[in-house]
Amino acid sequence: MKAKSFTLEAVAWDPWLAPVATATATPKQRAALDASPQANSPYFRTLAHDVDSLAERSPLFHSVMYVPRGLKRAERELATVVVSIINGCIYCSSVHARRFAELTKQPDVIQALYDQGLDTPLPARLRAIVDYAAKLTREPAAMTVEDLKPLRAVGMDDLEIFDLTNAVAMFANANRLMQTLGEPVMPEAQS
Amino acid sequence: MADLLNTILGVAEASALAALRAQRPEILQHTQGSYDVLLTPEDPGGLSLAERALVAHRVAALSGHAALATHYQGLVDASGAVAPARRDALLAHATLLATSPGRATPANLAALQAVGLSERDIVALSQLVAFVAYQVRAAVGLALLAPEKAA
Repeated sequence: MKAKSFTLEAVAWDPWLAPVATATATPKQRAALDASPQANSPYFRTLAHDVDSLAERSPLFHSVMYVPRGLKRAERELATVVVSIINGCIYCSSVHARRFAELTKQPDVIQALYDQGLDTPLPARLRAIVDYAAKLTREPAAMTVEDLKPLRAVGMDDLEIFDLTNAVAMFANANRLMQTLGEPVMPEAQS
Repeated sequence: MADLLNTILGVAEASALAALRAQRPEILQHTQGSYDVLLTPEDPGGLSLAERALVAHRVAALSGHAALATHYQGLVDASGAVAPARRDALLAHATLLATSPGRATPANLAALQAVGLSERDIVALSQLVAFVAYQVRAAVGLALLAPEKAA
């Protein structure tokens, strides 16, 4: 089998715990699953074992990634890819890299991050987003107001910075769930 | 309704930071809602409130967030004892997941099952560690905006 590495191709995910079966889900689990991005995926059915936390997390995730105004969707997606690269989450990175590429038609930006690392040359606004996302992921306690200056310099307002922060924080969360409850299945291994 | 991040960060009700947070009402609601169901659930299943407080404290402390670590230490101090074997297994998993999110293996889940955690308890524990990792970074980012707002 080929080594698992970051990709723009679609990756699947295999749980390490038996997911809740769709047929035996309680009404409460059903409702929480229906409010999740992919109601029948093994990932959300695994999270449905603890239904109250899933019922809070799905609307939180949805709002962080998709609520209108503020930071552009593609820029939220980029931030989550950066966090996922640092945390090693091949599945999360694939999903959100593909969304970024769909929205911007710029898969080359993602490929450069994969191939050359987070220091790859980027336009100023993307550079500022990548640097903020990387530091908040790696060293939250070392963040200072100085870290806002590059974001301000490319014209970001409070709401955009707030949205960026929440996207980075949400993937500190997502990367940990994904990588402790299961593992990615690479495209060439899928039947 | 008390909001933990507003309390921790000293966000006053009529402040610019409160107004900014109010532009994302679902995030406000479900950040606090996640905290409530993970730290003080009505039905904690097989993961006690004391164990949950212990785990949250470990993640906040490892992330270097003093105010959140102090908050969770308060919950630890206010709750009952945790059996040593459970304590060791829970803290080992919390530490692994907080500091090396890509290093977990099925053997780590087996170690949790060996001290009596059910599938639901393992998911709740994972959600809890993941939530505090989120909460720390959300709190840090909000705090950065606060001095600018106060100026």
